[in-house]
Amino acid sequence: MRITNKMITTQYTRSLNNLSAELNRLNTQVSSGRKFAKASEDTSGAIKAFQIRKDLSKIQGYQDNIAHAKASLTNAESALMHIEELMQDATEKIILGLNGTQSEEERAIIATELRSIQGQLLQTLNSNASDSYYFGGSNTTEKPFEVIDGKLRYNGYDLDLPLPLDTPEANEAMVKALESDSLYMDIGLNVKFDAVTGKVDESTVFGYSLAGISIAGSGTTVVDGVDVSNNLYNLLGSLAEEFESDGYAHDKADALFGHLKDVSRRVMGSITEVGSKTSYLDFMSERLADRTFNLQERQVEVEGVDPAYAIIQFESQKVAYNAALQMGARIIQPSIFDYIV
Amino acid sequence: MRPTFLAFHTASRALAASQANMDVTGNNIANVNTAGYTRQRVDLNSISSSGYTQKFAVPGASVGYGVEVSQISQIRDPFLDARYRDQASENGKLETILSGLSDLENIFDEASTEGLMHEISKFVNELQTLAQTPAAGDIALITRTAAQKVTQIMNVYAKQVTQVRNQQIFDLSKVVIENEFNTKVKNIADLNAQIRKEQTYGNIPNELMDKRNLLIDELSELANIKVTSHPERISEDLVIERLTISLYDTATGTSIGLVDSELYNTLYLNDDGNSVTVGIASSFGAPDTADITHRFSGGSIRGYLDLINGEGINEFRGTLYYRNSMDILASNFARVLNDLNTIDPADSKPLFAASDGGSITAENIRISDQWLADPSFITTTLDGADGSDNILRMISAIDSEAVFYKDAADVTSEVMFKGSFDQFMSGLIGEVALDVELYQNYADTSINVLSTLFATRESISGVNLDEEGINLMAYQKTYNAAARYFTALDEAVDTIINRMGIVGR
Repeated sequence: MRITNKMITTQYTRSLNNLSAELNRLNTQVSSGRKFAKASEDTSGAIKAFQIRKDLSKIQGYQDNIAHAKASLTNAESALMHIEELMQDATEKIILGLNGTQSEEERAIIATELRSIQGQLLQTLNSNASDSYYFGGSNTTEKPFEVIDGKLRYNGYDLDLPLPLDTPEANEAMVKALESDSLYMDIGLNVKFDAVTGKVDESTVFGYSLAGISIAGSGTTVVDGVDVSNNLYNLLGSLAEEFESDGYAHDKADALFGHLKDVSRRVMGSITEVGSKTSYLDFMSERLADRTFNLQERQVEVEGVDPAYAIIQFESQKVAYNAALQMGARIIQPSIFDYIV
Repeated sequence: MRPTFLAFHTASRALAASQANMDVTGNNIANVNTAGYTRQRVDLNSISSSGYTQKFAVPGASVGYGVEVSQISQIRDPFLDARYRDQASENGKLETILSGLSDLENIFDEASTEGLMHEISKFVNELQTLAQTPAAGDIALITRTAAQKVTQIMNVYAKQVTQVRNQQIFDLSKVVIENEFNTKVKNIADLNAQIRKEQTYGNIPNELMDKRNLLIDELSELANIKVTSHPERISEDLVIERLTISLYDTATGTSIGLVDSELYNTLYLNDDGNSVTVGIASSFGAPDTADITHRFSGGSIRGYLDLINGEGINEFRGTLYYRNSMDILASNFARVLNDLNTIDPADSKPLFAASDGGSITAENIRISDQWLADPSFITTTLDGADGSDNILRMISAIDSEAVFYKDAADVTSEVMFKGSFDQFMSGLIGEVALDVELYQNYADTSINVLSTLFATRESISGVNLDEEGINLMAYQKTYNAAARYFTALDEAVDTIINRMGIVGR
């Protein structure tokens, strides 16, 4: 084959161009730390990378939710601790009042103290942070507890009276619904919805708000032949009333006190519930952190470039490039005309 | 009898031949870098006297009369030309497609940037935040802003696809067809006329032919052309070639004339807003229809047509395909979320709407007026109170499998895709990236074949300086030899005239 000058120069220009394109690619890899700058350079890698990014972003959302739930549970916990303290305070006062040596006036003072504890209790049950009430179940915007005619109401329902429904069964169901009413959030348990009703399947979400009704207590119990309220506020009210009353009966007050002790165990129960919820969240958060770590490792594998490998490649490519330049400089120059005298 | 001065003419022709050879060598060297130049050669004949023309037979050895410069011809292989042009047209198509696809990839690709998928993920996370405190007005506002970003990036994608498409239509119509193709066929026809005139006078217009070949090479990058030449009889003893170029479709075997000797046909582009067609303005051999769009099987014109008209279903995935895909994504995204936001089907509460009130496309999707007026227009719960079940429903709908209808407003229309929005989008990026990869490989192979053909052609027609240098030295020597022959003859005549018959003088 005849080799002409144009063949050599064209071929030479092309190879140099290919070599510098490869050099440029490696240089971009090293300087950006990425295996590919465009999806077309590694399509399957890019699709994997998109999937990983999406998973990471989802986990970030869950972690954010968990942090929010934990913060709100911590708030609720401290409010519950405060209620617990109030109940201890009340217990001390009541024991003092039940002492037979107390005069009528002293009992009246204790009653006043009990009423002030009542007020603090109401305030604590209505605790809120950033305009959101902790103990309202799924109601966060309205004060969940209010007192009308000395009786405590929860989300508008009088806690003493049977709830205004026709049958006891319906009332019981209503109470149950109120007790399980909660705010919930997605913490990566794969949220599902009931195929028929379209309601959220509560086992796939995390309920993080507490229903005040299960802390305060609802309904009435017959104590010594009298209907007595099951809720802390009203019960404290009844005790205060009894201490104030002219016909103070020690037995009656003692019976009420016994019931109050039973009822206030609920507070401890709620604190335990909050504790177990918090530790579940910690567990989930740790699991998600593990997944994040694994995904980030995977991300580096898919998208990242091994610097040592890239630099070695870059160096060897540079050698090829330099060699091509040297060769070219020599092959292009001479022809027979350099030697004709 | 040999005439006394016969050999003087032989010597003179020998000098002339060497001179011509040196001249052509010089011309070759001068044009070593000229694009399209074909190396030239002096065609020499040796002359002899024929006994046939003499009155009486003269037996005996007859000596030749030397050399004659018959013509200066080009060294060129027409078969290689045809192969080169076929490959050039394939190459033109692939390179055009590759550059168009790279433009499209740059729009959608989020390998090293943040695009639609990123914005959708961010929107989902804002929805999660809203689910934490569904009643908080400020969070609702942030959520709406995140949704707005999703719509804006859809708008940007759609606009950029349209821009790429318009740019390609402009390139095809103004640059490729009007400027390049039509000018080239006209120039080729003009050259045909000049060459014909020269040949009629018996000249061999090598330079004009080089120019024409170069133009034909360039034309072959634009379309699938076929070059043929027929003998044309000018007079009793003069036959010259008549060159025709046609648009040749190998699949159907039909051809449409583009150039016939001095006549030429031009192309024009029709754009009906949806697809473009190529028409031909015929001055000879008009085809059955003026629309010859489907006759282009190669060349950059075909590449542009694929990019502009490709709808992607069983054919090339061009700009139309990506525009339609973005519309399907936008309209179905809006449909799914609008349906979830609407509690009572009789009272629809759309989150997304079209800016012109018509059907939603990627270019016109935006936040609905109602949502714009009130950030908490978004339905957070179906259960009452301050729950966030409906937000969870929206998050779940964005992440889980959705049905993408061709027409989002009509759920009986064709189902284009089933999967999550992310899968749709990463599928779309995957498609364009794979196409780029594929066409990059095609183009690499094609340019390799083309440069091999170029090299083969160069190896025949190109100028090699070493060769020319050797020739130059050789012709210089023959020139010297011829001159020396002349001197020898001169001396011989001198001997006859001045020295013969003077014995004893």
